[in-house]
Amino acid sequence: MSTPEIAATESQPRSGLRALAATLVEGDGKYARRFDNFILFLIALSLLSVGLEAISGLPAWARTALWIEELIVVAAFAFEYFLRIVAADNKLAFIFSFYGIVDLLAIAPFFLSGMDTRFLRVLRVLRILRVLKLQRRVLEAAVNDRTRELAERNAELERAQAQLREELSVARALQSSILPAAFPARAECDGTARMTPATTMGGDFYDFIELPDARIGIVMADVSGKGVPAAFFMAVSRTSLREQASHHSTPGACLAQTNDVLCGQNPLDLFVTVFYAILDPATGVLCYANGGHNPPLIARADGAIESLDGEGGLVLGVMPGVSYPEHTMQLRPDDRLVLYTDGITEAFNPANEAYGLERLVAEILAHRAGSSHTLVERICGSVTHFAGTAPQSDDITLTALKWNPR
Amino acid sequence: MKTRTESIERALILNAEGRLDFSAAAGFQKDIEQALSSAQQGSVGLIIDCNGLEYVSSAGLRVFMLAARTAQRTSVYFALCSLQQSVREVFELSGFNRVMTVQPDRATALAGLRGKS
Repeated sequence: MSTPEIAATESQPRSGLRALAATLVEGDGKYARRFDNFILFLIALSLLSVGLEAISGLPAWARTALWIEELIVVAAFAFEYFLRIVAADNKLAFIFSFYGIVDLLAIAPFFLSGMDTRFLRVLRVLRILRVLKLQRRVLEAAVNDRTRELAERNAELERAQAQLREELSVARALQSSILPAAFPARAECDGTARMTPATTMGGDFYDFIELPDARIGIVMADVSGKGVPAAFFMAVSRTSLREQASHHSTPGACLAQTNDVLCGQNPLDLFVTVFYAILDPATGVLCYANGGHNPPLIARADGAIESLDGEGGLVLGVMPGVSYPEHTMQLRPDDRLVLYTDGITEAFNPANEAYGLERLVAEILAHRAGSSHTLVERICGSVTHFAGTAPQSDDITLTALKWNPR
Repeated sequence: MKTRTESIERALILNAEGRLDFSAAAGFQKDIEQALSSAQQGSVGLIIDCNGLEYVSSAGLRVFMLAARTAQRTSVYFALCSLQQSVREVFELSGFNRVMTVQPDRATALAGLRGKS
């Protein structure tokens, strides 16, 4: 099979002999390196013999040996010179190049035997210049080795990065999977939640907690920062909050206790904003406390929008001994409660504008009559549409709840 | 995100400008730590002028919190001033305005420093 892609990259097609010559004198494979070493050895040998010849009173057998050695060296150099001419793309350019001339000078004295032998010796000493040429070849080989090494290391890094990405995506999936999939089944409640994690791991979470007295704890929280540290702190926060929720019947006490626990388990000085509400499905009474989180919104059945503001407390994890004021609100039939994280209001579009509270309110009002599921889907869709091509830099987390007593 | 320092009276002033989001937080933390150690060496206070600060994410709040802690530990007067409306809201919501000194403007922050020493 011919491989046109490879053939096309050659400057010009090479005949068999030319390709062979090129592999030996220009390549940097095993054979080329051996050939280089052989030539280097011959250069050293010939320089040594030039020195020996200068010694007067050398025995006749030694002279004969030197002459034979010279014959072999010249033959090898001539052969190499011939190969280089064959391999060169531009033969004339090679012959008249510095190294081409050095190569020629290395063999020329042998063929100029009629001349003064002292002059010939000087010329033969010029063979040392050939070392320069080999040195260049050795340097090139070293550069090639480094390049190959770098490429290998690069590939290794890419593999490691791919593995890390893979592990992070597993961690992200795990992170979302520990959140409750559905709102506790209650005839009076239509609740749903959704978290869309950012490309980097974030620390948003929501939770629905079935309390011993049949009330339901509702959590919306956001850990500061991003990445693995935020994800770990999110897991610690959620676990602590769940545990405290089962021991404390009021949201303020639950947050205060969780805060104290988190302050003792926070080596990276992260913090978490937490809104915690307890809903009594039988009466529609919502009791809540806020640790630095965006106040949730209530769309009343008549179209009025209120926010669950009221004095809050410090974000959790910063300082122990903080108190969290409690507030109470009476839900009315068909009121819609929406809890969210700043991943929604601070979703940016390519023009660097924030989605903002106004768009969120408009979306809630437009879809408040439908199911909680529809409302959540519509809001998330609207945020995605708004952000357009801008990357999602933060988790987007949203909970919607409708209370409808029988 | 850009920072620029200047010296006024017995205070080193770090002007914070731009958006302090997750990606800017690490760089800002370095700047603020450096300013804190200069302030400590020169026995002066450190005031962060947030007049040019347009946005603070939770990662940015964390940098302020860590700086306030270091300042308290090393007895350096530390205050923020001239917060834009949206940034001030973030500080109020998170409760951080209650755990560190946040002044309306530079003059008040400098007066606070004079009152301390």
